[in-house]
Amino acid sequence: MTGVVTGEPKKGLIKGPPGGEATAVPAGRKRGEFLYFALRSRKFLLATGVLLTLIGIAFIGPMVDTNDPLAQNLLPMRPPTTETGYWFGTTYFGEDVFAQFAHGLRATFFVGLLGGGLAAVIGMAVGFTAGYRGGWVDEMLNMATNVMLVIPTLALLIVISSYLQRSWPEARGIPFESVFVGLTSWPWAARAIRAQTFSLRSRDFIDLAKLSGRRGWKIIAFEIAPNMSSYLFMTFILLFGGAILIAASLDFIGLGPTQGISLGLMMFNSFSYGAALLLGLWWWFIPPGIGIMATVGALYVMNVGLDEIFNPKLREI
Amino acid sequence: MRRYFGRKLITYLITFFIAATIDWMIPRFMPGDPVQGLVSRTGGISPEGSAALVQYYNNLFGLDRPLYEQFLNFWISLLHGDLGRSVFEHGQPVTQAIMAAVPYTLALLIPAILLSWWAGNSFGALAARRKWLDNAVLPVGYILTATPYMWLALVLSFVLAFSLRIFPQSGGYGYNLEPSLTWTFFTDLFGHWMLPFLSLFMVMFGGWAIGMRNMIIYELESDYSRYLEALGAPQGLVRKYAFRNAMLPQITGLALQLGVIVSGNLVTEIVFSYPGIGNLLFNAIKSEDYFLLQGIFLFIIAGVLIANFLVDVVYVIVDPRTRVGMRGGTA
Amino acid sequence: MQVGKSRVLALLAIMSIVASVSACGSSSATASGATSNETYPRAETLYTTGKQWGAPSTWNPLDPNAAMGVVGLQYETLFMYDPLKDVYTPWLAESGTWDSAKTTYTIKTRSGVKWSDGQDFSADDVAFTIGLAKIKAVGSNLWTYVTDASATDASTVVVKFSNPAYQEWAQWLYNSPILPKHIWNDKANEDILKDVNQNGVGTGPYTYKTASADRMVWQKNDSWWAKTALNLDVKPKYIVDIVNGANSVALGQLLAGGLDLSNNYFPGIANIVTGGYGITTYFAGPPYMLSGNTAVLVPNTLKKPLDDPAFRKALATAINTDDIVNKDYGNIVAKSDATGLLPTFSKYVDTAQRDSLGFSFDTAKAKQMLADAGYVVGSDGFVTNKDGSALKLTLEVPDGWSDWMAAESMIAASAKLAGINIDPQHPDYNTVVADRNGTADKAPTFDLIINNDVQIGNTPWTWYDYVFRQPLQVGAAKNRNFESYKNDAAWALVQQLDKTPVEDTATMKTLCSQLQKIQLTDMPVIPLWYNGIWSQSSNAVWTSWPSEKGAQVLPATWNGYWQMGATLMLTQITAVPPAK
Repeated sequence: MTGVVTGEPKKGLIKGPPGGEATAVPAGRKRGEFLYFALRSRKFLLATGVLLTLIGIAFIGPMVDTNDPLAQNLLPMRPPTTETGYWFGTTYFGEDVFAQFAHGLRATFFVGLLGGGLAAVIGMAVGFTAGYRGGWVDEMLNMATNVMLVIPTLALLIVISSYLQRSWPEARGIPFESVFVGLTSWPWAARAIRAQTFSLRSRDFIDLAKLSGRRGWKIIAFEIAPNMSSYLFMTFILLFGGAILIAASLDFIGLGPTQGISLGLMMFNSFSYGAALLLGLWWWFIPPGIGIMATVGALYVMNVGLDEIFNPKLREI
Repeated sequence: MRRYFGRKLITYLITFFIAATIDWMIPRFMPGDPVQGLVSRTGGISPEGSAALVQYYNNLFGLDRPLYEQFLNFWISLLHGDLGRSVFEHGQPVTQAIMAAVPYTLALLIPAILLSWWAGNSFGALAARRKWLDNAVLPVGYILTATPYMWLALVLSFVLAFSLRIFPQSGGYGYNLEPSLTWTFFTDLFGHWMLPFLSLFMVMFGGWAIGMRNMIIYELESDYSRYLEALGAPQGLVRKYAFRNAMLPQITGLALQLGVIVSGNLVTEIVFSYPGIGNLLFNAIKSEDYFLLQGIFLFIIAGVLIANFLVDVVYVIVDPRTRVGMRGGTA
Repeated sequence: MQVGKSRVLALLAIMSIVASVSACGSSSATASGATSNETYPRAETLYTTGKQWGAPSTWNPLDPNAAMGVVGLQYETLFMYDPLKDVYTPWLAESGTWDSAKTTYTIKTRSGVKWSDGQDFSADDVAFTIGLAKIKAVGSNLWTYVTDASATDASTVVVKFSNPAYQEWAQWLYNSPILPKHIWNDKANEDILKDVNQNGVGTGPYTYKTASADRMVWQKNDSWWAKTALNLDVKPKYIVDIVNGANSVALGQLLAGGLDLSNNYFPGIANIVTGGYGITTYFAGPPYMLSGNTAVLVPNTLKKPLDDPAFRKALATAINTDDIVNKDYGNIVAKSDATGLLPTFSKYVDTAQRDSLGFSFDTAKAKQMLADAGYVVGSDGFVTNKDGSALKLTLEVPDGWSDWMAAESMIAASAKLAGINIDPQHPDYNTVVADRNGTADKAPTFDLIINNDVQIGNTPWTWYDYVFRQPLQVGAAKNRNFESYKNDAAWALVQQLDKTPVEDTATMKTLCSQLQKIQLTDMPVIPLWYNGIWSQSSNAVWTSWPSEKGAQVLPATWNGYWQMGATLMLTQITAVPPAK
């Protein structure tokens, strides 16, 4: 259950391999084995299929339907028809809903990648350092993580967004929104990575690496991280989904970008300005919601699928 | 025990102090003058009236005192439960506005959280055992948990309120009623509550169900489960232990999800114009009322911290290992 | 642990039962409308919205932010002014007369008026209220020209003046509420605005019933004086004003018949009015709404080249206002007269002068005017400053004001055709205000803004005060002369206008003509369009709304409008007989 802010569903969804041990299998065989199971995992294939379809719409859609998503030049409030420009109908203001949907998908994926990616980087940095170093560094980082975890992220983002929108109007663009989201959704990832690093830290091959004189960060980068690679990838996927949801909420409250369009903004416009609920313009707000739901849902299912692929105990044969 | 709670308390107090200070800084370090905006929005006043109003508000908000004095006053008022004054409400106390909105929010959140947690976990546990239920619950659960809160709210509002006209579309209670101890009023209140509650409940339910199902499966695969089975223990006993162990991460999960739930509540209230804290926050953002924003933010943080603390207490009660650990034994 | 499917099923069963019960309860209450259990019977209740942004938080009649209806429904004024007919109707006063020297004004108060707590209304209350204007916090300049106000007997107030400002005094007479002395005497100090005055005592047709975060409820005062004295009866027993939420919600409620009168701005309302939904506006056709204020383009005359009247006039000639009226507003507004005066002041417009000195949209002429004034067109097609530097003017409107955002794009587009480079921006509201007002140390930084602060009223003096006021204000309190235009001759004329008696229309016309000459020649502000008194009504429960063919009163619940005749609207609407 992630809902809006952090990508962390409960522990149930995000699972490291049991006992916190990474599977230490020789690399070549590992990859072949994973690919085999990946292609047989229904969940993984389904999720990948959905994501590819959405990415396809995001890429090809604007090339097929060349309308400017924000141009108010069509007949307003028309339900979907097969006529070009009206595939998803039009808004109260006469904008092309399909064009908005396709462009919005692009923006949404962008936020997910940038925001999720940034959160992943910070989460890894904090998690690895805290887990590997231990001691007072760990204590400090732990405290910082706990503080960030408790503060309701949306409230914090509201405050920062409002502040920046006053002094720095350019900040109301999608890149900056992604950065905020990234900067605030890393705590759970840091905690999870820290826990994993802890358990790996005491393994023999780490001691070997230390004996051979490798520096701390090199050990993290070349010994620990590769062993957790599946875990890290899954964490990234969840952060990706979480970033999308947070950004959609921010847009819906009215703190989204002032230029361009995103799926959350579509819902905001339909609700606030367009009386969509009262005039029955369901085609305006249903598609963006389905878009987000499909993307995030596919990501979660992919996460579970990957879990099964990487973790032999969970595989359903 | 004391050390455990002591550490938690210290973390929470530090968090609160940091959050409150940032919170206090926001309206005062924002570029621009909040009083100016407020006076400008007030229409139809003469130049003399305008000047008088500016002075009145500056005095009311305490903005004509030096900064350090304002900070001190802030903490003193805070300890008295005074969260300052709202620009949006033309100088009326923030605490008053929040207190009027809190009952609605709590009426939504508490039942939604508790019921969805209980129902979700129950369904999840059931699904882990029965394949047919699993095939039904799993996709539904994933879809629900991936659904953005405001979208489900929009859909429910559209289907049940607009199209089918079963429930009202907005508000806390009908505009033709006054709060009174009558059956009419309570059914009306309930009717307005139903859709936002349902919206929150469904999304959260999906998450808990999925999580619990996965945890149960995980526990049933673990060594102690296998061992018990090998020993010939009845299925019921194994499941009982599995369930107990699976509950624990769900409890900590609850604490971690509080921030998410608050945000979900915010957007749900906006869609239904339900007069809770979320709606108030939305209005504060729209009218750039940073004092009100500051008060609400602080209130939310305090609430979340208290809830976290309660969850910690519950966890200690539920998990005997923590108690043993505190007494110095090993789990 | 057998979780008990039965328990889960039981839970579901209970929830569905409760849900259906509540559904029945709420749907019957909202749908049928006339159930006996509701506190406010639908047929006796008027539902309004559009004035109240934010929870009603103060009911102090001296606070300009008082809740909907406080001044008008609860507290009343000495006179009522009708801007459509330019008539002052005695209200709480029976009459008001000047002496021959026009320095003493005698008010005869109406007898038989009672406060809602039973006490008699008398001249003491009037004299007391005039005295309240001495308090600085009240923010009135009354005592700069009033020297004394006292009740000589129970129904006579004598007000003495020195160098009276007749126009402002007339405004005070119809605009300012009378407060009961026996309640406010002890509060008559600098903290008077801090009294929230919930459930106050007034003379008006309604009394306070209840208020909450999302509504304000008034109840009819059955012993209202005007019932016997003027044979006026307000029809709704309850008035429920709903706090503004999302515009879409208000529109939906209006269409569903849950709202009777909405004073919100709805883009595209013209389609709804002509679409057969039973929604009516004051005019059946364009402009649908009465004009309530003038939207002007305000240039910052402290900056180059906006300090050059020739440039400003060229700019005025370059703007296509018809596009804004037609495309942006769908014809629910009207283009402004070149002088900026509202249609209700048309008698003060010197039409011959306006026709010869005024402006209208003409791109070619604008280009010519720029060339004649010495502005050279650069290589990019835009004119440059006289010193050769690139010229780009920013136009700011508050973010989220979608109609103004569209308007500024249209202004920029048409100005571009004449070669003026305008950059339309929409920062948040507070930033626009900050840029517009400047501070005590820094001059205002804006180039161009759109503003519509001057509302409909009893005198054109308000408009000219807005355009020409001196000394220039600075900072948070600034609400006049945003363009920082200094013209001593003009300001002298404005002050002279203020001191002209209201009945002396001849002198007023002469002064206005002179002021118009200065305004049209120098163009300190550029009038664009008349914003409407947004008002759309549902005829499902109440009908006979104000219209040009019916009762010609202002159909608005905004502050300041009750005293301009909107109260009469409540006496003229009729309940629709319930359908069989």
